[in-house]
Amino acid sequence: MTAVIELKQVNKAYGGKKAVDNVTLTIEKGSVVALLGPNGAGKTTTVSMILGLQQPTSGTVKLLGQDPRDMQVRQRIGAMLQEVSVVDGLKVGETIELFRSYYERPLPLERLLKIANLTQEKDKMAVSLSGGQQRRLGFALALAGDPDILFLDEPTVGMDVTSRQLFWETVRAMAVGGRTIVLTTHYLEEADSIADRIIVVNQGKVAADGTPSQIKAETTGRIISFTAGAALTTEILQAIPGVTGVEWNGGRVKLTSLDTDRLIAELIRRQLPMRDIEIQSGGLEEAFRMLVETKGAVS
Amino acid sequence: MNLTMRALKAQLKAELLRTIRNRRFVIFTILMPAMFYFIFTGTVGDTTQVGGSDWKAYYLMSMTAYGVIGASMTTMAVRFSRERAQGWNKLVRLTPLPSYVQLLAKIFSQGALNMGIIVFLFLLGAFVKDVELSAAQWVESGLWIWVGGFAFMSLGTLLGTIRNVELVQVVSNLVYMAMSVAGGLWMPTTVMPDLMQTISKFLPTYRLGQGAWDIVGGSGSIPWASVGILVAYVLVFMFISTYIMKKQEAV
Repeated sequence: MTAVIELKQVNKAYGGKKAVDNVTLTIEKGSVVALLGPNGAGKTTTVSMILGLQQPTSGTVKLLGQDPRDMQVRQRIGAMLQEVSVVDGLKVGETIELFRSYYERPLPLERLLKIANLTQEKDKMAVSLSGGQQRRLGFALALAGDPDILFLDEPTVGMDVTSRQLFWETVRAMAVGGRTIVLTTHYLEEADSIADRIIVVNQGKVAADGTPSQIKAETTGRIISFTAGAALTTEILQAIPGVTGVEWNGGRVKLTSLDTDRLIAELIRRQLPMRDIEIQSGGLEEAFRMLVETKGAVS
Repeated sequence: MNLTMRALKAQLKAELLRTIRNRRFVIFTILMPAMFYFIFTGTVGDTTQVGGSDWKAYYLMSMTAYGVIGASMTTMAVRFSRERAQGWNKLVRLTPLPSYVQLLAKIFSQGALNMGIIVFLFLLGAFVKDVELSAAQWVESGLWIWVGGFAFMSLGTLLGTIRNVELVQVVSNLVYMAMSVAGGLWMPTTVMPDLMQTISKFLPTYRLGQGAWDIVGGSGSIPWASVGILVAYVLVFMFISTYIMKKQEAV
């Protein structure tokens, strides 16, 4: 596999505040990678540095083995930025044509209009489009040069549920022929449905990195709760293998664990005094929040 | 090279379309000067002598300069500011389009439009008001205003570094009006108090007008002082706007 994006010990500080904190990562050709994290985690700053829009305070960023600002690199990338950007005074078709003129091997206009589902709007002024339509125009512009690497920074913000689904279907269709896609999102479900690798970013650091199933295994923390007998103490419970957290609420205790199946077997084997046992699993979103919060607390 | 030429052509076409579709541009830089021209030649009298020429010829130069200055300055200012506010600038920076091509396209398209404004107003003067000038005077005065117009594009670029688009519109219109009045484009500086006359001699608006007034007034020599002052302004505007843009981008 060839690496198309390489970050080595990259730091970015604004004033005294660290937005990106010593990030090292490699992204392989042909992969679909999601940078996942809450708002302000440093996703957009990281993408901006990969794109050469911002320079790291220290460390190196390589895009296609070169400086991201290199013209040959620019020929091979396309990006949809977080800000909605349309230009005044041009129609949808004209805007796309303008972008096509920048590239050596642009995709045909009709194809781009079709991908972005804007064929009907071709002769409308770009500024008169709705927010969601403007996002789709941005997507067409990102694809204008038939890029090898496609960057999508929070692409579905401002889209309704239906357009969101349609959009991800289109993106999935674009992830062929060795095209690399890097996207940022703060929805775990989106990352899970589209990416083959998820990098969880929090407070400027990489909090987790792996395939969606690995991430889910790590984040899908489950909870066993029961009314405890008088003999049980936090110390005893924490000593049981598989317990990652103990929380008391009056006489009830909540145990968190990554593998509740094994833990419940263990609890029963030890014949601990327990009544009214419940097993709950947090939703994906909740689990993800848990991951981000715990990792954040450690750092 | 081929690709760059193709991009430049497409960029030029886009810039021209954007300006022509802008109603504000058409009203303020073509219709207003034409209207002022007819109003003020009507009230002052076509053949009143000013600066060695008929008022109708003198004021045709004033209003043509006024139109070209407005077009160059406000279009550039608003466009630069708006493109950044829209995030467009950032998006284009990610494409292989060299930034100099983008700038050249803006300058070329504005240059072409300025030529259009000059030809339009000169035709109005010649055929509606019967302004009589020699062929050399028509060509020289037109070229003088056209070339001088580029100086005001650099001022527009400087004003375009202001991030708020509405503010840019207000500021550039204020600067435009104030400098036009003080530079004697609305009324000759000779009717102004002495202090104002002295100040106006240092204004680029006066200098642009003065070159053209001299040509229609019969003094054939190139006004080197005006050339020097205009060039100095261009250098200062470019220096400051480059400095500000560098500072704004260094995030």
